Amino acid sequence: MRWAPTPVRRLLLLAMVLLPRLATADGRLLDDDAFAVTSSGNLALDAGLLVATPAALPSGLSTGIAAGITRNCGCHFSYGARASWSTVTEGSQFWTVSHDDIRLRAVGAVRHTVGRGSVGLRLGLGTTIVHETRTRTQGMGAGRTDLDTTAWAALPALDLEALFAVHITGAWVANISAGPSFDRADGALRTGWVMGLGVAWEP
Amino acid sequence: MGAVIRLATITLVTALVSLSGCGDLQGFGGPVPPLVSFSVTATGDLGAVRPPDDTGTPDLHAALVWGRQWLVEPICILPPENADAAAVIAAGCRDPLGFVPARVAANVPIELGVPASLELFTLPAADVLVGDLTARVGYASIVIYDDKDGDGTLSLGRPNRPQQMGPPDTTPTQSSDVVYSASFVTMTAPDLRVAFRQGAFIPSGFYPRAGCSDPPVAFSVLGAGGFSVADALAATLAGTLPQEDPATCTNQDPSAAAFTLAVQPPAPLAELRCTERSTDSSVRYREPDTDPPDLTNRTMACVHSPSFGTPSDVIELVISGRSDDSCVGLTHYVLKGCRETPTCGTPDWDHSLAPPTWWPC
Repeated sequence: MRWAPTPVRRLLLLAMVLLPRLATADGRLLDDDAFAVTSSGNLALDAGLLVATPAALPSGLSTGIAAGITRNCGCHFSYGARASWSTVTEGSQFWTVSHDDIRLRAVGAVRHTVGRGSVGLRLGLGTTIVHETRTRTQGMGAGRTDLDTTAWAALPALDLEALFAVHITGAWVANISAGPSFDRADGALRTGWVMGLGVAWEP
Repeated sequence: MGAVIRLATITLVTALVSLSGCGDLQGFGGPVPPLVSFSVTATGDLGAVRPPDDTGTPDLHAALVWGRQWLVEPICILPPENADAAAVIAAGCRDPLGFVPARVAANVPIELGVPASLELFTLPAADVLVGDLTARVGYASIVIYDDKDGDGTLSLGRPNRPQQMGPPDTTPTQSSDVVYSASFVTMTAPDLRVAFRQGAFIPSGFYPRAGCSDPPVAFSVLGAGGFSVADALAATLAGTLPQEDPATCTNQDPSAAAFTLAVQPPAPLAELRCTERSTDSSVRYREPDTDPPDLTNRTMACVHSPSFGTPSDVIELVISGRSDDSCVGLTHYVLKGCRETPTCGTPDWDHSLAPPTWWPC
């Protein structure tokens, strides 16, 4: 079969020819500033993925997203606020239960910078708002959607997370955090854990 | 900086508010509501209908029993060819149009004159529904019984047949529970049944209600006036379903229905505690062994193999269950044949030239 150039192939061919010339304009593919850290402010915005034990459900893994804002006070201390949403759905013989956990935390952290990275310990105190949806197993088959229930709850909660951050390039930082989590549900202290993976922007 | 502080402050305030632990999450806990419940009341004088030898304290229960798809053996509906056959049929055939239990789904203790709630927490399993995935239906009878064995459930027995090929049937052959009433005993009498429908409804010979409206989707309580055996046979020969009198048909939502069941003498209801094998409804034939089967308290007859067409020249030995069995049933032996039929082309066994010494036919 004869090779016939298409518009896409032409563009690819053009890129293959031109791009190396652009990259090597100064003779190097990466220059000294490619991974330079340009953060100079004391404010950081971060977002990422979150995995945690559910705040009020005894089984399952709650997954979702998290975001936060942090202000460094020029020393080893920083403070801010964080919010996350995660969801989990688990089933038993009679119920399929979904919990949406909305975590709101005021956080304070101590950090130590090592090179372009930093380690820290972050304490978060706040509330976890839980929205519960329970579907009665086989209820729909029985024509009984009235058996399903929904409920809200606000649980006092506390997280203690170890932080690891590495400046990648410019104002961008890769973050990972993990640690135990505590909340009070049904009058009892519940323990779990929370882990996050994300990026921060520190202009 | 001020915004960060305000956000953190608001979050802390919500945490303090949530210390009160507001909310009513239940997770997997909390009470489990039944999918459906039925109001059942047993009425009448139990002392007047109890067998004289039953002197114990009655422990009445109500049970919801799903029905099995079952087909009667031809010998039970064809005219008996001799007196022995008539005796075997009387001893070994159940009501050909009777309700056949498949599974007990729910039980509740009950007192005479006091309504009880019979609750179902699961849908009926597919094995008690008849039809395919898009159109299937199941029917149940509400049974009032004396829980003689004290296990809290209606114990089902099965016909006491000699050991057969295949895996052993673990269903016991005896049931000591005594049935005193049921909402659905037979198709030849008025009945009130629980129905569960999934998908469409296709009329079939599974406890038919031709002439009545289709059961609604999900649970319902249906009533019908019944039809005669003669009507059923005539309709079967014509390839149709026996018709119910539309005036006797009822269709109620379970929340509006009430089962009021008067206790009756238990003898005519004894088969309501008897299930049948689940393989299919066809007759299984057995090879006569060298040793005779235990014929104690059993009735037997030598008959031509029952046929709706040309009379068969195959002679078979039909043996009823024991007179003290809980459930009636028949066992068929042929000297030559196969498990499924005595007239198979290549018989699995052939003792026609040298029958066992005990062979009576």
